[in-house]
Formats: sequence, structure tokens, C-alpha cells
Amino acid sequence: MRILTKTSLYYLLVSVVVFFVGGFGYYKIMQVEIYDEVDDQLFTDKENILAYIRQNNRLPNVTSGISEAILVKQVTDASPVLEAISDTLLYSAYDEEHIPYRRLTFTTQQNGKYYQYTILKSLMDFDDLFESTVLAMTWIFLMLLLGLAFVNYYVNKHTWRHFYDTLGKIKRYSLARHDPLKLRPSNTTEFQELNEVLQSMTDKIHSDYLNLKEFTENVSHEIQTPLAIVNSKLELFMQTGNLTPPQARMLEEMHTSVSRLARLNKSLILLTRIENREFRENEEVPLHELIEKQLEQLQEMVDMHGLTLLPPQLEPVFVHMNRGLAEVLLSNLLLNAIRHNQEGGTIEVTLTPAQCCIRNTGEAPQGSAEQLFGRFMSGSNNAGSLGIGLALVSRICAMYQMTPTYTYTDGVHSICIRFNTASSSK
Amino acid sequence: MKILIIEDEQALNASIVTYLQQEGYTCDVAYDLREAKLKVADLPYTCVLVDLTLPHGNGLEIVRMLKENTPETGIIIISAKNALDDKITGLELGADDYLTKPFHLSELNARLKSVIRRRQFNGQKTLRAGDLEVFPESAEAQVHGRKLTLTKKEYDLLLYFITNRNRVLTKDSIAEHLWGDHIEALDSLDFVYTHIKNLRRKLLEAGGEDYIQTVYGIGYKFSS
Repeated sequence: MRILTKTSLYYLLVSVVVFFVGGFGYYKIMQVEIYDEVDDQLFTDKENILAYIRQNNRLPNVTSGISEAILVKQVTDASPVLEAISDTLLYSAYDEEHIPYRRLTFTTQQNGKYYQYTILKSLMDFDDLFESTVLAMTWIFLMLLLGLAFVNYYVNKHTWRHFYDTLGKIKRYSLARHDPLKLRPSNTTEFQELNEVLQSMTDKIHSDYLNLKEFTENVSHEIQTPLAIVNSKLELFMQTGNLTPPQARMLEEMHTSVSRLARLNKSLILLTRIENREFRENEEVPLHELIEKQLEQLQEMVDMHGLTLLPPQLEPVFVHMNRGLAEVLLSNLLLNAIRHNQEGGTIEVTLTPAQCCIRNTGEAPQGSAEQLFGRFMSGSNNAGSLGIGLALVSRICAMYQMTPTYTYTDGVHSICIRFNTASSSK
Repeated sequence: MKILIIEDEQALNASIVTYLQQEGYTCDVAYDLREAKLKVADLPYTCVLVDLTLPHGNGLEIVRMLKENTPETGIIIISAKNALDDKITGLELGADDYLTKPFHLSELNARLKSVIRRRQFNGQKTLRAGDLEVFPESAEAQVHGRKLTLTKKEYDLLLYFITNRNRVLTKDSIAEHLWGDHIEALDSLDFVYTHIKNLRRKLLEAGGEDYIQTVYGIGYKFSS
């Protein structure tokens, strides 16, 4: 959840709570105040009535004061009710509804007779007041909410813009791309601090990365010469005639291992050079021609492995890339299809302007598709393979924004390279 | 035939010299650019093997110098860099071949012979071993004057053997010679065996001798 949404939701929640608690409190206070007022008036009326009776020695016949109605009833003897106040509902024929009233009942004596007075005061005004209060509160609430949301959204958007800027830049940041992270300075202290920390962190990582890369490069290059020396000495050693069979076998094993190490190193150097983007010379490479050429070269290997190459379906496709890398890409894919095949299996190559697919029969893979494109991942039954081929494929694809996908269904491996539409043209 | 080996790694230089001397070449060595320049200016060589990364400068200078002064000299670049652009520059300047370290001495020998063969117009056009004749120009071979029907790989194999005759060749170096970078995909050693078996059979069927011997534990040897 975005921080803007989150704070807005909290605002809303707090506003609702404040509104209900505030509204309820307001209602209660109003009620108490109004009851107080109404009761005061009822008691004043009572005092007036009693004073009238005392003065004139007769019952008042007209209503005076604020009371809406005065009921007088003669009671036989002094009832215990001297004074009582309560709420009541009376039906109003005019309004056709029950209307709340405040009622004061008291008993008084005149000429030795007892009379019970009931004074009523309508609470209709109070109800109206309540309704308008709720209405006003609702409006205030809505407007407040709208205002808050608006202010919150825009103020936050404004203050957080540096943060989102930084976030976007970090998302797009890639160590391999060589351009340093440039963050926009912010006048918000926290964001400025964040930027500074990120800046120094990425600078450090970048320089570590460069050091490490340089180290790898140097090691790979420096290893070539000693390897060449060992290789040549072993070869000379093997030419000496009087070797015993165990010695010869040992020499051969050493020689094979050194050769393997040399090839591995060559692949690693190639990988590093792709990562360094040293292959800048691009041209419109005719992939269909390259595939045909490679298939021709590999035909022998296909035959020797007892495989069948299904007729390739190749549409003319030109991709803007480095020719050497295109060759590396295709040969690794095709070799992979040969290597991870089974006796009597098939290989099928299709090329369309959208993608290049290579399908081959073979055993189910071990590990996930992501692992497959990593370094040094190889099936356990192929001890001789280095598992670096698909890593090269994935590097080259990354360089030209192509997407390699791998699927395995019904005993068929298929690796498809989807071309970046911008770089391929028919 | 005089060969100059310009390589700053003494151990590697010595290996090359030993192997080539056994092949009957006269070898001269240079360990840095200055020495190499002096030697190149001094004497005509049949072929020069030059490393690109040398003390005091780049080996490409030698290539340039040789092309200007003695264009008939064959040039093979040996480099640890394997940089495509170096290879292109080198070949554009007129180098005959380009070999990346580490390499098999037998491969270097094969390339060297091929360069010399191509450069010497009056040199031997035919490689002979007993009854066997190989014609590199037409990529053909014959035994007792009868033409052999060989696949391209079998012919390559035969040529590789004959240029490294009486040498022990490892299965690995044969595989690399035949399939280059594709070697990784192969159960290469079995395929080497298959090819050699076929080649041997064809040579015998044509009435040739069994030139190719198995050297136990190591590989094969073509003797004549």
C-alpha cells in the first residue's frame, strides 16, 4: 500500500471516530441544556399558577407563560404525588404523529379541595434542533474529509516527490551499466539523509564491483599464459618415447584437465567481455543464414549422436546485434540441444520475426529454469560439460533485450528467445 | 627454414622452440619488442610467431614492420587476449593466422606448416608419407595413386596427422583441431575414436599401411 493511501486511510478512520464521538457528545450536552431550560420554564409556570391561586383564590382559567397546555383535574384526596416531572408522547391530530412532551404534574389545594395540575411543554423544537445539528455535522465532516484528503494528497505528493524520484532511480540502477547514481537533492532532511546514505553506499558497491571485475579479468587473462606453459610442457613430455603406461595415462589425464581449464577460462573471459559490453560493433545480422550455417556445421555431430534434425522452419529475420555474439548465442543453443538429448532423439529449430525456438527431446531437467541460465549448472550425467553455455546465452539476451524462456513438456525441452521488437526487423 | 619466436614467457618460448626444432626448423627467439625489431631487421625468416603483449610495446608493430620490409615472411600471432578486434587488426595488417593461448603445440605446428605451404610457391605441393600422398591445395589424398574418398573431417584429421608425423597427438588436441569451440558439446573422445577408426579402415582398404598407431593412455601417433 502506498504511503499516500495509507495516511489517507488513517485520516479517514480518525475523522470518522472524531465525528461520531463529537456528534454524540454534542447531542448529549444539547439535550441536558434543553431539558434544563424546559424544566426551568415548567417550574416557573408552576410557581406562577400557585401564586395566582394564592392571590385570587381561584383556579387560573387561561394559559399563560410558555406551557402549551395545562390540565386541571380534581382529585378526591391528597394524592402522594406532589410534584413529578417526566417525558411523554402525545398524539397530535394535526401533525398525525406522536410528539414528545415534557410533563410536570403537581397537586395543589384550593378551598379545601385538591386539584392535580399537569403542565406540558413540547419538545418538538429540540427534535428539530437535533436533526439540524446532525445535518450540519455531516456536512462539516464531509467537507473536512474532502479538504483533508486533498491537502494530505497534494502536500504529501509534493514532499514525497524526492523520495519517489530516488526510489525510481534506484530501481533502474544497474551496477553493470557503469553510470553512477545521481540523486536529486531534497530540502527534506530525512530524504536528503537517505540520498546521501544511498549515494555513498552505491559508490562503495560500484567501486567494489569494479575492483572485483578488474580482478576477475586480470586473473582470467593472467591464467592464460601459465596454462599455455603447462600445456606445452605436458605435450613435450608426452613426446618422450619411454613412458610406462601408468605414466602415460597420468599425463593424458593432466593434459585433458588443463585443456578443460583453458576452455573454461576462455568462456569466462568471453562472459566478462559481454558484461563489459566490449562488443559494440553491431550490424543487421541475418539469423536465418547463421542458423543454416551452424546447422550445416553441426550436422555431423547430430549424426554422431544418433539424432534427427527435423527440417528447420526459418523465416528471414535480421537482428541488429554483434555478429560474433549472434554466433555464440546460436551455437550454444544448438549445442545445448545436442548435448541434452537422448538416443534417437530429435531437434527442431523454428525462426519467426518474433522469436527463435529450439526444441529437443531429452530427460526431464533438474532445477528450475532460472538455475538453468545460471553459471556452472549442468545435468549430473554430463560430466564433461561446463554448464556455462546457457549463462552466455542469458548474458547475450540481456544485452540485446531479448527474453529467453524455457519450458519442458512431454519429454521435449524448448528454449525460445523472444526478440526485442525494436531490434528485429523482417 | 628459420623461424623467429617472439614471446616474453621464457618457459613457453622454450617449449615452442623444442617442439619446432624436433620438426627440423631452425629457431631464433626474442623476449621483447626491441630485441624482436633488431632480429627482424637483421635476418629474413620463413615465419615469425609473435605474441601481442610484449615488454616495450605491442607485437602488432612487428607485424607492420614485416609487411613493409619482408612481405614474404609468414606471420602467426599468438595472443592471450582473444580479443576479436586484435584478431581482426592483426589479420588486416597481414598476419596469416591467429592463435589464442593456451594452444596445443601440435596445433601450432599444423598452422605453421600450413602458412609455410601457402607462402612457398615453389615449395612442396604434396605431403608424402610412404605410399600416401596428400594434396593440400585440392584437399585430396591418395594411396598408390588411388584416390581416397574421405569426409572433410577425415581429410582434416589425416592432414593434422601428417603434419605432426611421428608425434604423439592427444585425443583432446585432435578433438579441438577438428571441432574447435564445439568440442564441449561432444563426448568428443569417442568421436575422435570413431573418426580414426574410419580413417584407418579407408587407408588399409586402399592398400596403404597402418600408419596410425594407438599410444596407450595418451592418444595416437602417425608414423612413417
